Amino acid sequence: MTATDTNTRIASEGGVPPSDGTPLMSLRGIRKTFGSHQALRGVDLDIFAGECVGLIGDNAAGKSTLSKIIAGTHIPDGGRILLGDEPVSFQSPADARARHIEMVYQDLSLCDHIDVVGNLFLGREMTKGPFLDQERMIKQAEEMLARLEIRIPRLTAKVEKLSGGQRQAIAIARAASFEPDILIMDEPTSALAVAEVEAVLELINRVKERGVGVILVTHRMQDLFRVCDRIAVMYEGTKVAERRTEETNLQELVDLIVGKGGH
Amino acid sequence: MSTTYTERVAGSATRDFVSEYAQVLSIATFFIVCLVFFGAMTDVFLSATNLLNVVRQAAPILVVAVAMTMVITTAGIDLSVGSQVAFVNALAAITISAGVPWPVAIVLMLGVGALIGGVQGWFVSYQGIPAFIVTLAGLSIYRGAALLLTEGYSIPIRGADGFLWLGRGTLLGVPVPALIAILVVIAGFVVMWRTPYGRQIIACGSNFEAARRVGMPARRVVSSVYVLAGVASALAALLLAARLGSGSSNAAQGFELQVIAGVVLGGTSLMGGKTSMIGTVLGTLTIAVIGNGLILMHVSPFFTQIVTGVIILVAIWMNTRLFTGTWKIGKGGVQ
Repeated sequence: MTATDTNTRIASEGGVPPSDGTPLMSLRGIRKTFGSHQALRGVDLDIFAGECVGLIGDNAAGKSTLSKIIAGTHIPDGGRILLGDEPVSFQSPADARARHIEMVYQDLSLCDHIDVVGNLFLGREMTKGPFLDQERMIKQAEEMLARLEIRIPRLTAKVEKLSGGQRQAIAIARAASFEPDILIMDEPTSALAVAEVEAVLELINRVKERGVGVILVTHRMQDLFRVCDRIAVMYEGTKVAERRTEETNLQELVDLIVGKGGH
Repeated sequence: MSTTYTERVAGSATRDFVSEYAQVLSIATFFIVCLVFFGAMTDVFLSATNLLNVVRQAAPILVVAVAMTMVITTAGIDLSVGSQVAFVNALAAITISAGVPWPVAIVLMLGVGALIGGVQGWFVSYQGIPAFIVTLAGLSIYRGAALLLTEGYSIPIRGADGFLWLGRGTLLGVPVPALIAILVVIAGFVVMWRTPYGRQIIACGSNFEAARRVGMPARRVVSSVYVLAGVASALAALLLAARLGSGSSNAAQGFELQVIAGVVLGGTSLMGGKTSMIGTVLGTLTIAVIGNGLILMHVSPFFTQIVTGVIILVAIWMNTRLFTGTWKIGKGGVQ
């Protein structure tokens, strides 16, 4: 359990820690079937503190399914999930959230009819007696967004009024702000403008420094080399390769993704 | 060469306010227009007696409309409220006639309402049957059960003066049913505006999967609003029974449509998420005022239904066409 203790959240000196020791989370032989479709056919993956794992692969390779299993949204049909040494089985996203696993979903999972503050605190509203403590939430939300350098003009505006980039920024802020141990991001930069992509990549580097294990699902190969320490390539529901970022290059990754890696 | 960066200035707060509350503002305007119109057309409309009478008559609808707002906010619907009212109305009369003390009967009836709502909520939320189907079945079942219980007769309530006071009495000059409705409205408003439960209701209607993903008990929340609708229907049934001094299987015909019309007129979206408790109150009272005003103007009562229907259609048409998104203030009005 040493690796999952809270004191590892303190920023580690000297950048990238080595991928040895106990992983924060280990996936072993994860399988998932939707009807007759084998979404995942036995996937192993380790996530270490302070490290970012890139999860890449073609559409329908199983990246999103795997990340949703880690976040508790899908329940795997087979395989084991270990948090440190402890086997866990998440029955719902609430279970995973209780174990400090947060996810930024590709569809963002925001409620359009609720204001920005309400979305940031969705599912963990602050209360004063039986009532929502709107003032305290606004104050904390301002701090949360400022820390991530996200600028939203009016925190009491309904989320439906915001741009795609702002919505994505809110989804990211929501997941990153509550001291996660593991942060999963499914295509976090897809709808963002240049400056916002930079901010997200910086954010990933910053949460890594705090000792968070990050899983980044993305199609943007250039992002991988900016933030990832390891890259896992998925193909047809299996993990076909795993490389340390410094030992690979764009061409090799592209070959692995399209299935030329075996030749 | 230096580059200067400037920040956008924040938009006008008034404009934000108007665009956010466009629908409530429009129904409020319409409500006031109705008050002024009927006030000008008849002498008695704006008298205190008449206005209190309007609120007394609207009380059962108002009580159920508060719960219906919550149901519709979760993107559901409860078509069975009228039949539930008839069933509990008849059952209350039978229970009190059988000698059960009326306070006990009230608790029992509210429990029956919760049970009915709980069954419907379970089918909707845990079994995934569309709310329209579940409650349409309920509409038929409970009306049938009421007919079966009473065999079509009206059952008088005798020897329970305290109970009848609930429907006929006044407190500080205000009819008791109106007071009860006002309390329910205030409770409903506060719940939706500033409590975690209200937030959960809105979240489930706005994006059910998102609510589930952030750990809200989404299924439980959705089923719970049907329980509230059941309890509110039972309360409305008790108010009706107390006012009329009898229980009848034919009570509350078309009740569900009046309730839903009031809620929708107030700006709560049938698609879920978008909600307005103040709008519901204004919408319900608008319909009540139109009904009352037309009668005072000696318009044929048969006309009332036609006018109400037309007004609902026109008001909602105006809301969706004119006030959604393109509402502008100070620039030539509506686009």
